[in-house]
Amino acid sequence: MSVRLPRIMSLIVGAAVVSAGLIAGAAQADTASPSPAASADAKATLTVGITQDIDSANPFTGIVASAYEIYQMQYPTLTNYSAQDFSIVPGLADSWQESADHLTWTYKIHSGLKWSDGEPMTAKDAAYTFNRIINGEYEQTNYGNYVANITKAVATDDTTLVLSVKAANPIMTHLSIYILPEHIWSKVSEAQVKTYKNEPVDGQPVVGGGPFVMAERRVGQFIRMTANPNYAGGPTPIREVVFRVFQNQDAMGQALKKGEIDFADGIEANVAKSLEGIPGITTVNATYSGFNEVAFNTGAALSDGKPIGDGNPVLKDLKFRQALSWAIDRQTLADKVYGGAATPGSTIIPGMYPAYHLTPATPYTFDPEKAKSLLEAAGYKAGSDGVRTGPDGKPIELRLFGRTNSANSKQVVQFVKGWFDAVGIPTTVTMKSEDALTEIIGQGTYDMFEWGWVVEPDPDYQVSTFTCGQRSYEDAGSVLAGLSDSFYCDPAYDKLYAAQGSETDQTKRSDIVKQMQQMVYDAAPYIVTVYYNNLEAYRSDRFTGFVPQPSPSGSLLFQYGVWSYVNAKPVSSAGEGTQPADGSSGSSPGWVIPAGVLVVLIVLAGLVGWLLKRGRGGEAADDRE
Amino acid sequence: MTTTVPTPTPTPISASPKSIARARRKASRRAFAKQFARSRSGMLGLIVLIVFALLAIFAPLLFPATMLDVTKATGMPYEPPSLEFPLGTDVSGRSVLALVVWGARVSLVVGLAATVLSMAIGTSVGIVSGHYRGFLGGTLDRFTDWFLVIPFLPLAIVLATVLGASMLNIIIVIGVTSWPGTARLIRAQTLSVGARPYLERSRALGAGNVHQMVRHVLPNVMPLVLANTTLAVSISILSETTLSFLGLGDPTAVSWGSILEEAFASGAVSQGAWWYIVPPGLCVVLVVLSFNLMGRSVEEILDPRKGAT
Repeated sequence: MSVRLPRIMSLIVGAAVVSAGLIAGAAQADTASPSPAASADAKATLTVGITQDIDSANPFTGIVASAYEIYQMQYPTLTNYSAQDFSIVPGLADSWQESADHLTWTYKIHSGLKWSDGEPMTAKDAAYTFNRIINGEYEQTNYGNYVANITKAVATDDTTLVLSVKAANPIMTHLSIYILPEHIWSKVSEAQVKTYKNEPVDGQPVVGGGPFVMAERRVGQFIRMTANPNYAGGPTPIREVVFRVFQNQDAMGQALKKGEIDFADGIEANVAKSLEGIPGITTVNATYSGFNEVAFNTGAALSDGKPIGDGNPVLKDLKFRQALSWAIDRQTLADKVYGGAATPGSTIIPGMYPAYHLTPATPYTFDPEKAKSLLEAAGYKAGSDGVRTGPDGKPIELRLFGRTNSANSKQVVQFVKGWFDAVGIPTTVTMKSEDALTEIIGQGTYDMFEWGWVVEPDPDYQVSTFTCGQRSYEDAGSVLAGLSDSFYCDPAYDKLYAAQGSETDQTKRSDIVKQMQQMVYDAAPYIVTVYYNNLEAYRSDRFTGFVPQPSPSGSLLFQYGVWSYVNAKPVSSAGEGTQPADGSSGSSPGWVIPAGVLVVLIVLAGLVGWLLKRGRGGEAADDRE
Repeated sequence: MTTTVPTPTPTPISASPKSIARARRKASRRAFAKQFARSRSGMLGLIVLIVFALLAIFAPLLFPATMLDVTKATGMPYEPPSLEFPLGTDVSGRSVLALVVWGARVSLVVGLAATVLSMAIGTSVGIVSGHYRGFLGGTLDRFTDWFLVIPFLPLAIVLATVLGASMLNIIIVIGVTSWPGTARLIRAQTLSVGARPYLERSRALGAGNVHQMVRHVLPNVMPLVLANTTLAVSISILSETTLSFLGLGDPTAVSWGSILEEAFASGAVSQGAWWYIVPPGLCVVLVVLSFNLMGRSVEEILDPRKGAT
């Protein structure tokens, strides 16, 4: 479940641990201060501010991080990642067993479970879900990598799921596949699933098996999740979670200050800074598994090799991409755009997963001169105006797309444009919504774009996005996107991907995965710009009990699991309380803007008054009839 | 009021009709300039506009273009005003003063160009629909009505989205959405001019429709067009600011609207970075106010209903 996402962040990294400690301390003191007006019902509703709406409530369609947050609240998985350290803990399955020949896995499903509509939730649902993905085509897009080795799924009884595999492989204990209710999804045909919305109909919540199910959605506004009455883990202290979608970081910060929301996720550095030290608000600078990148169109093609799109052919040249990799100052991006809450990026598995992360021996550093000489050596000569020409003798011009819903993205593309212009590659920047950009990427009609991934603890999914088979594919005359967004394709890489997928020895698998990262790093389909932290803030005067993943400094929400949603609870003592925090603190006094506006208004009022007076008594009057 | 009056009998003056007209126009221009110079508010507006125009023209000399390049920014994000950065720095560490001065270029160019476009459309539609009373005039008039009742902002947003974000497109979008008001005004004036006897005379002498419209009607509605233009510029500049603020402008061109947009999107309000928000806003207010002051003065001098000229 690595996911595309625009996370925005903030905070100064050096001070992160210290300030987190200080703020946590302050929060403890403020804990007993709920808003007096809050009713019992309102108290059990956790309102979370996000700046990225879900792209689809259908788990076969959605690709953005917020959508996956909804899926994992709504549907169980066989196993879960622990909050402590991402180790594997029971989920829908209580236990699992690999056969002696390594070709059969048996999962014991908890008995007596029910879906939110009261229907029994059994191993048959799990078998149905697996088989649907194994036999499907559209269903393979998001989950194909997990079932590549699985030949069939059989429910021998209500509590036993048997998965047959082609070869021993390391991912069977952590298959991030959402188990869907068969009695609902069997009515959705292969043809219908592409457009199936999976949203509440006639006021009836979506049927799910996780702690919360979707009860209402307004596109671009909010998603309301209500507690699943039949949740296996028993009643959760929070009875409702509302995700409010903000178009603007400032608005989200203000809403948290005013108490309209209880939690803000994916905050940008500047806004997070302004939330620090406000009584009743705790800010978190969480280590996170996300990276952002500038991706190149390395030659868009379908998975069968048929070219599509209109990417600039110079980007197919490895030397061209490598040269541009030297032109980007990743440290400046981390400092200036991400406010220090990020580190320069390199390979596609973040340092948060040390077992798999590769630190390249010879990293691309910021060296525009080297970039220029490499371009020169590769035959991209600069003209008299400094613009380099391609092999066809025409000046090169590249298109770069940024994402409208991310202020950071907008800044990053400006920096990248500046650096590319400086080495003689003029760049045109266009901002697109994430939906529009997803479409553009799938069709291959781009040169470069800025986006990112959130990487799951097992590297399989992330490294699978660079395999040839994940390029777009054709179905009924239309081109549909796979997971590959750079159209990188190397048979040697695919071989390594298969090798890591059947390597059960952890050390050997790590080596293969690192080798793959090195290949991608050298081939430069991505310029990984930064590994970023997730900046979050919440009303600690209202809610407590959030569980970080990993412990102790990980993210409170947007985890690989639902730990905080099932454990967080409203602050108990009601009645007396400190007043809700207002906007009167932060890094600069709150009176500054109102005062400035007031001064301007006074000046203008004076000016207009003077003119009116002149007009009545002066020359202008002579001109009237 | 007219510029060319056919002279059936020889006049005692030895000058040609053209030179008479020229001399009279010169005199009326001089009278106009005199009257305008006496209008204090008009002059104030003019002076402020000249200052902004000079700043816009000489922006590259005052602040080299590299100061707009985020990769060459010397400051840290959100530095408050200091000697080095008199108006502080923006979210990327660029000088807000340089941004605001450069922003004047785009804002003024877009404002003026869009106004010219809108005036051209509005005047043509207005004159034609006022001159032809039949089917053509009626159709154009309904067409104007139709555009008049479409809410401006949604139409502009849709157009800008469809056409794509660039400076030229923003000019087109503002131009084609803001002309109906002008068309109504010009049509009314055309109708009143059309009822005057000398137009009947020229028709009797065989003047065609185009001749009547171009040689007789247009010069008579011109003062109104001019006055309306100065007022329309301010609306165009506000529209440009609005569209840029909504993220529909050219993402790489710095305009006052785009500065405000970036400030808003990057958390300047939460940061309390007033130096990032107030200067571009103030510039918009000043320029719009100046155009309005000028427009009112010009209108007072030129508007036939007000008895002058």
